[in-house]
Amino acid sequence: MAQLVLKNVFKSYDNNGKHKQNTPYAVNDLSFRCEDGEFVGILGPSGCGKSTTLRMIAGLEKITAGDILIGDVRINDLLPKDRNIGLAFEDYALYPPLTVFDNLAFNLRARKVPEAAIKEAIQRIAPLLKVDDLLHMKPQALSGGQKQRVNIARAIVRKPGLLLLDEPLSHLDGKMRQQLRFEIKRMHHEIKCTTIIVTHDQLEAMSLADRIAIMDMGVLQQIGTPLSVYDDPANVFVAGFIGEPPMNLLPAIIQKTAGGYCFTFQNSTLRIPVPTRYDEVLHNDMRVTLGVRPVDVVIDPDSELSTAIPVAVFENLGDERRVGVRVGENLLSLTTTDAIYYERGDIVKLRFQSEKTHLFDATTGVRIRSRHITVPRF
Amino acid sequence: MASIEMIGVTKRYESTVAIDDLSLRVEDNEFFVLFGPAGAGKSTTLKCIAGVEFPQKGLVKIGGTIVNLIEPSNRNVSMVFENYALYPHMSVYDNIASPLRSRLHRKSEPDIKKAIDKIATLMHIESLYDRKPNQLSNGQRQRVAIGRCLVREPNVFLMDEPLAHLDAKLKHTMRAELKEMQDAFNTTTIYVTHDYLEAMSLADRIAVLDHGRVVQLGTALQMYYTPGNEFVAKLFGEPEINLIDAQFYVEGGKTLISTGIGLTYEAEPDVAAALQTQEHNRLHLGIRGNNVAFSFQGGGEGWLRGTVFANEPIGNSVIMTVQLGPEQIRVVAPNDTNAALDQTVYVRLATANVLYFGADTRRYIVRHNQEQVSSVAHLRRAGREGGEA
Repeated sequence: MAQLVLKNVFKSYDNNGKHKQNTPYAVNDLSFRCEDGEFVGILGPSGCGKSTTLRMIAGLEKITAGDILIGDVRINDLLPKDRNIGLAFEDYALYPPLTVFDNLAFNLRARKVPEAAIKEAIQRIAPLLKVDDLLHMKPQALSGGQKQRVNIARAIVRKPGLLLLDEPLSHLDGKMRQQLRFEIKRMHHEIKCTTIIVTHDQLEAMSLADRIAIMDMGVLQQIGTPLSVYDDPANVFVAGFIGEPPMNLLPAIIQKTAGGYCFTFQNSTLRIPVPTRYDEVLHNDMRVTLGVRPVDVVIDPDSELSTAIPVAVFENLGDERRVGVRVGENLLSLTTTDAIYYERGDIVKLRFQSEKTHLFDATTGVRIRSRHITVPRF
Repeated sequence: MASIEMIGVTKRYESTVAIDDLSLRVEDNEFFVLFGPAGAGKSTTLKCIAGVEFPQKGLVKIGGTIVNLIEPSNRNVSMVFENYALYPHMSVYDNIASPLRSRLHRKSEPDIKKAIDKIATLMHIESLYDRKPNQLSNGQRQRVAIGRCLVREPNVFLMDEPLAHLDAKLKHTMRAELKEMQDAFNTTTIYVTHDYLEAMSLADRIAVLDHGRVVQLGTALQMYYTPGNEFVAKLFGEPEINLIDAQFYVEGGKTLISTGIGLTYEAEPDVAAALQTQEHNRLHLGIRGNNVAFSFQGGGEGWLRGTVFANEPIGNSVIMTVQLGPEQIRVVAPNDTNAALDQTVYVRLATANVLYFGADTRRYIVRHNQEQVSSVAHLRRAGREGGEA
């Protein structure tokens, strides 16, 4: 068990270790800390640098610049086998001629651990990942989910200081994926091993990790708990990446009206009031990107500053209902669990939940925050 | 525009039966969804209608005419595939014009322009005429592909998983856009998908397929509220519906439902009447995660004590899995719910919303108020002016 620290880590894939000026870094000035026993998810689209980061921690890639520490020891120059890391990749890479037991025992035998201790370690870990009934079987007789369980069990059986999981669920079908997600989470709960998981699936990261580090183009965008990255995104990228259905992100122009600031939109007569907590940071004709989740848009006939707009789409999805309105080129969507239905062309007025309305700089995408925390008006 | 009928259609590939004695009728101008898991026979059904696959048995009729022996090109059927298959070297305009310039449907250029302008307005693509497909977003490509199919006014419009390869988030927007332009289709449409949200959103009626057979045929609300069996119940709704072992017995004139998780309650009269016609008294209770209440403080009447088995934040909610004796129950909780694994939690099932299935047959028996809940009657109609009535 150990904490993991990344300090200003860079990775460039150029030859000779020299970085050419105009090529982007695969990992660019990445710093974060994963506490002892913590479960951290590294999340991002393909090519964001998440797997490269994991491979640098594991020792499979050279670190171009910066330091990586595991429990106060700088590991940059340690061989992978000396880093005390357990690794499980998307591909299971089990030894086909060996039984599950021998697969699990392999690394321990290589380190000359006595057979009795090996047996004990396997008997401790096997039930956690539900592989105790499979110990005598060969890999080819196992399903994909079972193979991944064995793979993860093999990574943790030697009590690593740090467990690294690289997209461990992406080969599995929906059902098995959910099952294994449960088991990974419960396994972590039992052995409290410091764990990093790399994934492109935001639901997977949210449901497994204590904290999520979101990366894009080699740069860390935000790190926080699942709820904080969902409720309090640092920029447009995080806002759009986290959450399903996705956040509405619309280019808007701020207009001052007699009743206060309103969002207005190109090629649309729609007008919706801006929560007053933003008053101090706004000015007339300011261009912003408005971000609001479908669950935080409300149909409110009494919203005085709002203009009326026709419903473009109504979807009854069983668990909930969705209403869409056209805002110029874009579709603004809202979700409700109310037992009410609309038809295309019905006229509605909209309001945004004050604390859940986000503004982003129209060019940089950085979040614009209100200066003061105000008490919501509703 | 035309109705479509399949009568006793069987299609085998070597020894595997893709569709098995399948019969269904799609009404003129209907938006009909074929829904089911991979390998259910959805795409094969579509291909038999298009004429690119030939069934070994049975009849396919379009507009009342048997088309088994009619070439695909003569069926006046238009098909959109998962990859849009636009011509990469042609502009958007030329892509849409291509079917009207083919030898089969040749039209004059002024007529083509008129037809394209009409479709383009409906699809919001009139500003894209000069672009090449690689200069379009995925959503725009889809609209162009659909426009190209609609421009020649087909009798039948077939769509094979048009959203399947989009990422999960883009799908929500694309589905809504598809729904928005549905009115423009104005033709009989058959749409294949394995995504229940697409099926529920778009369909006038849905046929659920499994192993090449129709399992259930009906509206989206019927699938969700009164699924014909457990298989259908599990396919509609997220998280998957909970199924709990139970039995019923009659005592002192009351019909009581008893579960293995310490819950016993009296069935409503309509439920009791339906249960009493059953041969066996063993049941599965189906209850959705949003019909289960939870509390971390003490219980009380009707509350069951369990432990938190898993607690998964998914953004706008938390899916909590509660271990209740031998059963695991998925509960939809608010997104700021913070529960430690194995901590004590109390749950209460909204028993009025339970679906009753036979434990042996796995078929749907009854639910309380079933006629009402499976129609829009239980939803309030919004007022036409400014929201709620």
